[in-house]
Amino acid sequence: MLRFPLLGITLVCALLPAQDKATAYKNARLLPGGQPPIENGVLVVGGGKVLAIGGADTAIPAGAAVVDCAGKTITPGLVDASFRASNSADMNENGDEVTPHLRVLDTLDPDHRSFARARAAGVTAVHVMPGSRNVIGGLGCVVKTFGTDPRAMVLKEDASLRITMGSEPSQENRPIRGGGVDSIYYRRPTTRMGVVWEVRRAFFDAKAAMEQTAGAPPAAPNPGIEVLTRVLKGQLTAVTTARSEQDLRTALRIAAEFGYRTILEEAQDAHVVIDELVAAKTTVMLGAPSATVVAGSAGGDGADPRSATVRLLADRGIPFVITTGSNLQSLDLVREAMFAVRNGLSATRALDAITIEPARLLGIDQRTGSLAVGKDADFVVWSTDPLDPASVAESVHIDGLSVLALR
Amino acid sequence: MNSKLSVSLVAWAIAIAAAASATGQDIVAVKASKILPVSGPAIDDGVVLMQNGRIVKIGKATEVEVPWSAKVIDATGKTVMPTWVLAHSQSGQRGMNENMQNVPWLSVADAIDPASAWFEDCLRNGVGTVHVLPGNQTLLGGQGMVVRPFGRTVEDMAVAGNTGIKLSLMAQGGGRLQQIRKLRRALSDLREYLADFDRRKAEFEKEKAAGAIAADKNWTEEIDRTKKPGVDLVQKKTKGWLFVPSFAEMDEALRLTQELDLQIVLGSNIDEAMAMITRLGKPVVLDETLEYFETDEETQKEKKHCTAKMLADAGIPFALSLGAGGPTAYPWWQIGTCMRNGVDRQKAIEALTLVPAKMLGLDSQVGSLAEGKLGNLQILTGDPLAATSWVETVVLEGEIVYERKNDPRLQYLFAAEKDKEKKAAGPGKTEPNQPEAPKTEAPKTEAPKPATPAGTGGKPGEGK
Amino acid sequence: MERLLPVRAGRAAPFVSFAACLCLLSPSRAQDIVVTAKKVVLATDAVLADGAFLIRQGKVAFAGTDIPTEARKKATVIDYGDAVIVPGFVLPPTTLGRDRDLAEASLPFTPDLRAIEAFDPWQEELAKLPAFGVTSLLLSPSPRNIAGGIGALVKPGQDNGVVATAEVHLALSLTQVARNPERPPTSLMGAVDMLRSAFTMAKAGTGGGPDVAVLRSALGGSRRIVIHADLHVELAAALDLAREFGFEPVLVGAREAEKVLPRIVAQKAALVLEPLRPEQRQAQLRLPTLLAEAGVPFCFGGRADQLRTSAVLAVRAGLDRKAALQALTRTPAQLFDQHTVVGSLRAGCGADFLVFTGDPLDLTSAHVATFIDGVRVFGEAGNAPKPHNAAAAAGAR
Repeated sequence: MLRFPLLGITLVCALLPAQDKATAYKNARLLPGGQPPIENGVLVVGGGKVLAIGGADTAIPAGAAVVDCAGKTITPGLVDASFRASNSADMNENGDEVTPHLRVLDTLDPDHRSFARARAAGVTAVHVMPGSRNVIGGLGCVVKTFGTDPRAMVLKEDASLRITMGSEPSQENRPIRGGGVDSIYYRRPTTRMGVVWEVRRAFFDAKAAMEQTAGAPPAAPNPGIEVLTRVLKGQLTAVTTARSEQDLRTALRIAAEFGYRTILEEAQDAHVVIDELVAAKTTVMLGAPSATVVAGSAGGDGADPRSATVRLLADRGIPFVITTGSNLQSLDLVREAMFAVRNGLSATRALDAITIEPARLLGIDQRTGSLAVGKDADFVVWSTDPLDPASVAESVHIDGLSVLALR
Repeated sequence: MNSKLSVSLVAWAIAIAAAASATGQDIVAVKASKILPVSGPAIDDGVVLMQNGRIVKIGKATEVEVPWSAKVIDATGKTVMPTWVLAHSQSGQRGMNENMQNVPWLSVADAIDPASAWFEDCLRNGVGTVHVLPGNQTLLGGQGMVVRPFGRTVEDMAVAGNTGIKLSLMAQGGGRLQQIRKLRRALSDLREYLADFDRRKAEFEKEKAAGAIAADKNWTEEIDRTKKPGVDLVQKKTKGWLFVPSFAEMDEALRLTQELDLQIVLGSNIDEAMAMITRLGKPVVLDETLEYFETDEETQKEKKHCTAKMLADAGIPFALSLGAGGPTAYPWWQIGTCMRNGVDRQKAIEALTLVPAKMLGLDSQVGSLAEGKLGNLQILTGDPLAATSWVETVVLEGEIVYERKNDPRLQYLFAAEKDKEKKAAGPGKTEPNQPEAPKTEAPKTEAPKPATPAGTGGKPGEGK
Repeated sequence: MERLLPVRAGRAAPFVSFAACLCLLSPSRAQDIVVTAKKVVLATDAVLADGAFLIRQGKVAFAGTDIPTEARKKATVIDYGDAVIVPGFVLPPTTLGRDRDLAEASLPFTPDLRAIEAFDPWQEELAKLPAFGVTSLLLSPSPRNIAGGIGALVKPGQDNGVVATAEVHLALSLTQVARNPERPPTSLMGAVDMLRSAFTMAKAGTGGGPDVAVLRSALGGSRRIVIHADLHVELAAALDLAREFGFEPVLVGAREAEKVLPRIVAQKAALVLEPLRPEQRQAQLRLPTLLAEAGVPFCFGGRADQLRTSAVLAVRAGLDRKAALQALTRTPAQLFDQHTVVGSLRAGCGADFLVFTGDPLDLTSAHVATFIDGVRVFGEAGNAPKPHNAAAAAGAR
């Protein structure tokens, strides 16, 4: 009967001491992210921050709790740059095809099991975007994976604008055939061409608005146009979801047409457009490298995912991160990195691609993504090397707080 | 898959078949840096010597004499272990479920598709012995057979036939109780038929003894062809392989094991029935879904269960299955999943080798590297459980049946371009480090060298 | 004195009471009435033993010792003997099953519509309410609209309902039913955006049409802003809006309120809970207790026939009896600023009260009668007391 008040108390109690008292994790193999590994390392955290990190000779403050991590590996908390936080019906506003100003933060449910599962898999920060049903879906945000109030979990509020290429935004849309025109079923577009037309029209309007505001008094404020203007001015990152070769090319083409920069998300056919990616200096959020099962393809939207992709991206110097993306079959983030390693990526590179690289890409590397003094104490203690198929995240810490036992 | 690829695959299969027949009955020696016999301790720098398809000697390189006539497979720097054994598989067939449900006289021999991509995958993953059974959507589904995933015909592939009849408690259309009732009815029909047959035969003999029937007339009627396998089942002359989809059917499964010679194949949702499974007291097969989640109704918290871990804790030996696609198709993934959930490594490896071999009654043939057993082994680039390891070579009964360097599908997946036409279309695109001209039609690039295991630290900033 | 027998709210009751009502009808408005019982709960913090109160013109004029002796002498006395009298229950925002009239389907955003326009005084559902102890309710636009409109306080009557307060609260909604797949917005993001844009416009200045004007005046404190929200995310979004635009919302539904409880406390939100049912999770049954401990005002909403059982279940799960009764009466009245009109039997309030054979939060107590504005609309008449009883009662205080 007293469970709830007690839970509240334990939560508060758990938060306070964990942040006040320093804890030292010693004898661990530290993979700090973007830095060489430290054998027999020491990680000291306190007040929710990393206080010290280094070799066996690192000073442990007096009074600190000491945790022996012999045989274990400690990595930064993983960062998933494209995370499906489910409740999909609410991730898409079907009332319009272009909804740049809608914010996924408004519909984020930190209590959804996807967050609990992500935490259990060592993921401490995620980039969530609106669904892919709209041509321009809205604003994504970066949040930590633990908390009750989405706003308190936010690392970056308006982190991205999601644009979707391909057949998804046009799927199930029907042409007008009698009846009332306010029906939701009369959605545009119905073709891939129509999808691009919507993007073009949106940015055309935004550009026109930008040019107009130079002279004439501003028109009625249009939040959608404002968001698109920020993308055109380079103040907001566009993330374009494109899987197949044609969609990837289209995404690059339309971005070049309006002169905005975009990250390509999913990009399962990236191996085909490598040269174009190099030329456009595009960053790739590669979705689920495990999707290339040896026999048969798991490519969405006509894509043909190949094992070679991840290695090719690395060899050609294309910046990329590994994500779980929108693939329903995707595995835990660390397993996706494991498959990337299986497919030829170096282990260091693979781990960076799920920690510091996405943190940099999302602009949260001042806070998290690697183990460095002053950063948030977001880290994972693994039973063994995290890229081993048998590895388990034994404890996961967000702001120094161990979150696996909590709800 | 484009047509070009399938053409190349056929060419590949024929080429390998030809190569295999050439190696024939020779003596084959595999020299490896590490041998994992599964049934015993690991051997460093060892040799496996095979003759006429069987292992004749296994030991340290210094202790085993390799005859001069032996064909030597050099696996220096590599790991050798027995091929995996699957105790229950529905894949590799064209139509695994017959629409009619009570069809014990059918056999998977008529459904197995030797050209199936799944058998190809088996070799690629080091699987050497597969027990193929009818699908789970059945009642009395027909007979299974044990095959090796190599050969152009079912006869080529056959290892053992008549391995038992598939039974399933998975509800078909109706409810769970309906399925149980149907199975009971089918079994009792078989028993009635048998009793009637015996009674008529006894009457015949009685009348013959009384002189009512001429002495030179003999009882010629045989058990109906369509009834025979079922009759064998109820007489415990044939094994049954019973699929138990969840805890709810376990009670009935226990009852059935009292009257039939059954092997149990478990679905995933079994935690509530662990006491009963423990009472069963014999090895079981797990389906490919090893982990499942349950939500506590009161707290709304999710709890993860692992079937393998529950069985390991209960001390019940278990065999693992492989999925038809996705990560569960990989033996190392399945074993890794067991280990993540706290199952001992050796026990998890045995679940794909010794345990299934024993369940199939083939423990004297497969499941480990030991003298007298079949020469079924795989050569891996590293530890069999590392994600970075690849199966280099598969040897079945002393013959090389798979080599990674000649695997067109892997080459396709690791190729830089989609196909030749595309490459030709793009002017000025040259393939860096193009290796020697490929023999197959698929464009060839060197399959990636196994990346440095994370444990030893890769090159930081590679590719920068 | 005769012991009162429990009366079932059955088909026969209206007929029985009809005859009785006829005798009462004429004096009710014109003449003062004094109601007496063994226990009179004027409000949860004002309980009279052997209490009495005087009704004049349908309103409570005096209670207990405040009743002037002169007035008492002239008044008709209704004595309920050993019974317990409590204020009538107030049913928080509801459409009374009239979604067809209270959910404007063509538009999602209609804050300037008024529920009073859809009020049908002869509505059948209204007539059933007194049997469940409901003496007033907040008729509210449907949660099917993102901004439904303005609700009204109405009362069931003896024959037909009456309007007590024409414009009470502004009803908004973020629930699943508001995210209609047939018209935008279809998603929570879209719904929040719609409200945020409107509030922004309302706050910005004087622009916008009559709809924005309604929001502006509500933000200015003219009326309570009610947001229907069930799930965690909806509640969080509603609280976000409240925080952004600086108001203290009443959250209706609030099924997953426990998950955002700290924010509810911090933002001084109030809750209208769904009815409790015995088969619910313990955590849900415990929610009222939790809210009471945290000092969050709450009341029970949803279906009239489940109001009393909800309170009983909450008490069973640990809620203080006083708090439970308050959640049925005073709290909903106060939340919507109607506590001077309904929700208690203090002087000035409508004479809306219920008669039970015992504690109303004890399910063995029978519901004997319901009075609205001093008129018995359900149940049994009290005894016209024998002279010595009246004298004793008068002399008691």
